[in-house]
Amino acid sequence: MIVCVAVVGHQNNPLYIQSFTEADDALKLHHIVHCSLDVVDERVNNPKKSGLTLNETFLGLLYPTENYKVYGYLTNTKVKFILVTTDLDVRDADVRNFFRRFHAAYVDAVSNPFHVPGKRITSKTFAERVSNIVKSFGLSSAG
Amino acid sequence: MEEYPEELRTPPVALVSLVGCAEHHALISSYLNAERPPINTLALPDLSKIVLLLSKPIKSDPLSGDNGGILKKDWLLKHRTRVPAVAAAFFNSDHVSGDPAQWLQVCSDIENLKNVIRPKNIKLIVAVVQSSANDEISEDRMTLMRKRAEIDTKYLVVFNASDDLQLKQSLDRLGSTFAELANVYYKEEGLKVKTRVEKKSFNSHELNVRCCFKVAVYAEFRRDWVEALRFYDDAYHILREMAGTTKKLPLIQCLVQIKTVAEQLHFKIINSVIAWWKGGRSNYMVSASILFHTGGFSKTITGNSNIALGTADLALSEWEFQPAYYYQFAAHYLKEKRTSLDLSLTMSETADEIDRNAESVVPSIYVGQFARLLELGDALIMQSLTDEEYTRYAFSERKRFQDSSEITAFLKKAYETFTNLKAQRMACFCGFHMAKEYFVAGDLSNAKQLLDGAVLLYRQEGWVTLLWEVLGYLRECSRKCGTVKEFVECSLELAALPVSSDSGIQSFRRNECGPAGPASLAQREIIHKEIFELVSGETRLASVEVAFHEPMIKPGVSTLITVSLLSQLPLTVDIDELEIQFNQSECNFIITNSERPSAAISSGQKGCRVENAPLALNTNRWLYLTYAIKPEQSGKLECTYVIAKMRPHFTICCGAESPASMEDLPLWKFEDRVETFPTRDPALAFSGQKAAQVEEPEPQVDLILGAAGPALVGECFTFPVTVASKDHAIFSGELKINLLDVKGGGLFSPREAELFSTDSHHVELLGVTGPEGEDESLMGPDKIKKIQQSFGLVSVPTLKDGESWSCKLQIKWHRPKPAMLFVSLGYFPDSNESTSQRIHLHKSLQIEGKTAVVFSHQFMLPFHQDPLLLSRIKSLPGSDDLASLPLNETSTLVISAKNCSEVPLLLQSMSIEVDGGIERPCTLEHSAMDILCPAHLVPGEEFKKVFTVIPEVESSSLDLGSVSLRWRRDSEMEVLSTSAATQEWVLTKHKLPDVKVELPPLVLNREVPPYAVLGDPLMYLIKIRNQTQLLQEVKFSLGDAQGFVLSGCHSYTVFVLPKSEHTLGYKLVPLASGPQQLPQVTVISARYSAAFQPSIAASTVFVLPSKPQFKTTDIRDNKLEPFAAE
Repeated sequence: MIVCVAVVGHQNNPLYIQSFTEADDALKLHHIVHCSLDVVDERVNNPKKSGLTLNETFLGLLYPTENYKVYGYLTNTKVKFILVTTDLDVRDADVRNFFRRFHAAYVDAVSNPFHVPGKRITSKTFAERVSNIVKSFGLSSAG
Repeated sequence: MEEYPEELRTPPVALVSLVGCAEHHALISSYLNAERPPINTLALPDLSKIVLLLSKPIKSDPLSGDNGGILKKDWLLKHRTRVPAVAAAFFNSDHVSGDPAQWLQVCSDIENLKNVIRPKNIKLIVAVVQSSANDEISEDRMTLMRKRAEIDTKYLVVFNASDDLQLKQSLDRLGSTFAELANVYYKEEGLKVKTRVEKKSFNSHELNVRCCFKVAVYAEFRRDWVEALRFYDDAYHILREMAGTTKKLPLIQCLVQIKTVAEQLHFKIINSVIAWWKGGRSNYMVSASILFHTGGFSKTITGNSNIALGTADLALSEWEFQPAYYYQFAAHYLKEKRTSLDLSLTMSETADEIDRNAESVVPSIYVGQFARLLELGDALIMQSLTDEEYTRYAFSERKRFQDSSEITAFLKKAYETFTNLKAQRMACFCGFHMAKEYFVAGDLSNAKQLLDGAVLLYRQEGWVTLLWEVLGYLRECSRKCGTVKEFVECSLELAALPVSSDSGIQSFRRNECGPAGPASLAQREIIHKEIFELVSGETRLASVEVAFHEPMIKPGVSTLITVSLLSQLPLTVDIDELEIQFNQSECNFIITNSERPSAAISSGQKGCRVENAPLALNTNRWLYLTYAIKPEQSGKLECTYVIAKMRPHFTICCGAESPASMEDLPLWKFEDRVETFPTRDPALAFSGQKAAQVEEPEPQVDLILGAAGPALVGECFTFPVTVASKDHAIFSGELKINLLDVKGGGLFSPREAELFSTDSHHVELLGVTGPEGEDESLMGPDKIKKIQQSFGLVSVPTLKDGESWSCKLQIKWHRPKPAMLFVSLGYFPDSNESTSQRIHLHKSLQIEGKTAVVFSHQFMLPFHQDPLLLSRIKSLPGSDDLASLPLNETSTLVISAKNCSEVPLLLQSMSIEVDGGIERPCTLEHSAMDILCPAHLVPGEEFKKVFTVIPEVESSSLDLGSVSLRWRRDSEMEVLSTSAATQEWVLTKHKLPDVKVELPPLVLNREVPPYAVLGDPLMYLIKIRNQTQLLQEVKFSLGDAQGFVLSGCHSYTVFVLPKSEHTLGYKLVPLASGPQQLPQVTVISARYSAAFQPSIAASTVFVLPSKPQFKTTDIRDNKLEPFAAE
């Protein structure tokens, strides 16, 4: 189950962060997302070591923590998408698919002429769309 | 936390036992230990010991395995230290081959040993020790011994320690035999248990787990990591099924036992995995042992190990290889554990009761079980515990244990490691957790330090929620420390954070949040009010922008300044008084809140300007305040601080910022809100500065540069400079004079000047003289007076209002060229130099340097005399066009000096002087007397002087010297502007060109009377002088002339003898009066093929109509006398 998704700007500032959990760990998830930026940095700075190819946006598993696994995705405008899940067994394809849809939603949100790039995303449509993507995570492959 | 014992932490090592011949044990032990894989030895000096060793455990097991234990605590230890896989009996060779009594003893020893080890399936080796090479044991004895021991031939080893080579071989053999047999032993033992496991013939899970564990351990002895892993994993899975099914122990204790065993199994699993990866060659990794310091994270680890085993491609992310990651985990789990424990503790009874109940509880023989130890007389009885008793015991144990320091230690390690890895966010996260630990423990200074670090990062990256939490802790820290300022700062920052209901940040539940409470607009407002109550009214001005409307201001002229305030606090804020401070304190002013007149606070600064304006700050809306200020002092005027006062006790001092240099507020810039400009004029928002330049006051002094007329080269040009005070008095005045080359633009530097002329500059500042009547000494020693070639510094005396002072600059031009004169005056209008400002005044003037006199010269020959100068005839193109003068003939030199300046000049004298005073090889003299009284020369006029030159030597270039002319300006014309200084005569020299002197071969002289009278005959003589040693043939012809009748031949050829003269004489009778052309004569020298024809002008004679009558005047008696010319 996805517990948290986040969009982080190129200055490592949160643009959108939403947790989908009933437990009282939203703040902890914020911490986890923030810490995962270190791993993204590390991947970006040492692309050879991490085996990252030039045009690959999907960063894969960033790190497992406590009860979560954190996945990352980096656009070429240095906007990061972070996914935190409680599933131990996650299929790579599912995560890739999720990020692709998430990215598309983000692109649509920032294409709004009233949105100022670099600002926090407050669009309700975006939030709704992300929520749907999160809900459908893993369903397509399971079915 | 409990440390795992040695036998768990290191991989098991096969154990063998050496019996008898104790002198060799040390050697063999060390050899086996150094083997790969190593073998541990249990060295027993004689047989009785092994009997004792192996018989001991038989009597144990008082409570028997069925009492619910899963693993016995000492089982592994027993197999690692007490139960050997192989027993080797050593016998001396002389005992073996000795007398029957000794042999009998050997046999009985073997028998005894066999009896002891056989039931335990321990393998036997018999070794015969040969102390010398000569010892020979009969084959029969050996066979007998082998049979007695019931062993294979290869397990009967001869140990020969007589020499090194033999010893090495014996040891090698012994080692391989030990290894082989140990392997066999562990395999058989493992197999025994394994068959049980595979049959699944267990009535309890405990036994199943235990068997799996044993199989795994035996596999580990054999370094069969794969099998070991498989069985550990099996054991673990069985264990998981056990939970809740077993009834042998009370529920809690049962779970505790399962948990403990599970941890142990995990530890083994991970260690086996690592050992497997590393080829089993080293001890278990450090990180792994750290891992298992703490319990409870079975799940994740299983997940990880499953991944590792399942995919075998090391799908771990790079962070999982970092020890820091595990330190962090350890801390995390310790913390979770503590949290639940604390929760339990609060629910249980009082502490005393717990302590009392916890007495005499000890760990039982099974892993993860506890029992009460009761003393009944001498005997000790283990009594099992109820769950309640156990819980109390566990609590009391926990209380003794310092979780916090342990957690902090782990976090610190993680923090440091992450910092080294430059993983600042993870480090920050650990730091924050550490800070929380410190905070709880009351170590506020440490907490604060870490929190400050975290605040910086979160603030920088705009993680508002995290910042909120950290600030909440910081605020609590300062509250506890009693530092009001920090508390207020934190509160203000919290209140000003961009947290609002619609900001897209989820609200958190109360219990998750830090001391600041949930991040929400409501909470911000609460904090805002709270801090208001504390300081009785205040605000944080999130931004203060100050912009001057003009970048340059004139002193004394008012200019506009806009002060803009922005508050990000959730509620509207009223300021009582706003004080704007500048670096020039007289510009400071105060704005009081016009809507709260009662709140006016008497300012400490009297006489300060006070303005009124409504000072209510709405959230995120700029408040513009525009006022005029009138700076008096020149220089930089900068707004330094804006001080907001609220009620008598609260003051906020804000550093002013320029709108142009303002950066976005770090946190709000990411927020989706409407951008507003800090000034009404958007252009000013981008360019406005908090500082402006105040210009210098207008100088109220005139600096007059006098003469504009051109200077003349060579003269000492006097240049009057007048300083006239109009409104300002002049104190410490200073005149700076600079002479600049107009074309080059640069200063005349001495070096540059040397390149052109050796004597000095083209234009030179010679000196400065004070005004007339002022003595030099009056200027005093303290007056600055510094003169260089192109720079001068002169001090100006103190002048009162309306006074003036002047000085004269003396400038000399060496070449005709324009120069720029810069004069700048710096002065203080006030006698107090420290307060008043220096005022500068600049003037410049371009002055032309002109040549005063232009010289020209002309050589002339005597009348009607023409020497044949060969060089003139044969002048080659390109050769130097020097004038040629005939040798020993008188030539005339006319030198003219033309006044090409615009002023009349006065000439004193003109002479030709020889440079260097060398004797001149020619005679040069004036034909007329010298100028006695100076000659006036108006502009454009020419002055001529005639000299005669008689060259005395033949020369290709004869130096005639140079003309020296002494002149000066005609001072009668400009006596006012140019003073006595110009009365000096200026000497101008003009070098005469060299001349060529040659001997003319022929000289032609024509002799004609100066005038003729109509009808009177006259003689026209043409004399040809041959100055050579050769006979000269000369052709001549004479043409007719209208005005004359002539006698003589028209053309002829004559021969002129060397050094002699030939005269041609014609008698002419004039027929007409007036200027008449003489008959044209042409002379041709055949030798030199040179023709000569006098010019028409030179062959004209005036014919008088009749004989003239002249009168002469006697000067002495003024009597005119008639004089008749002949």
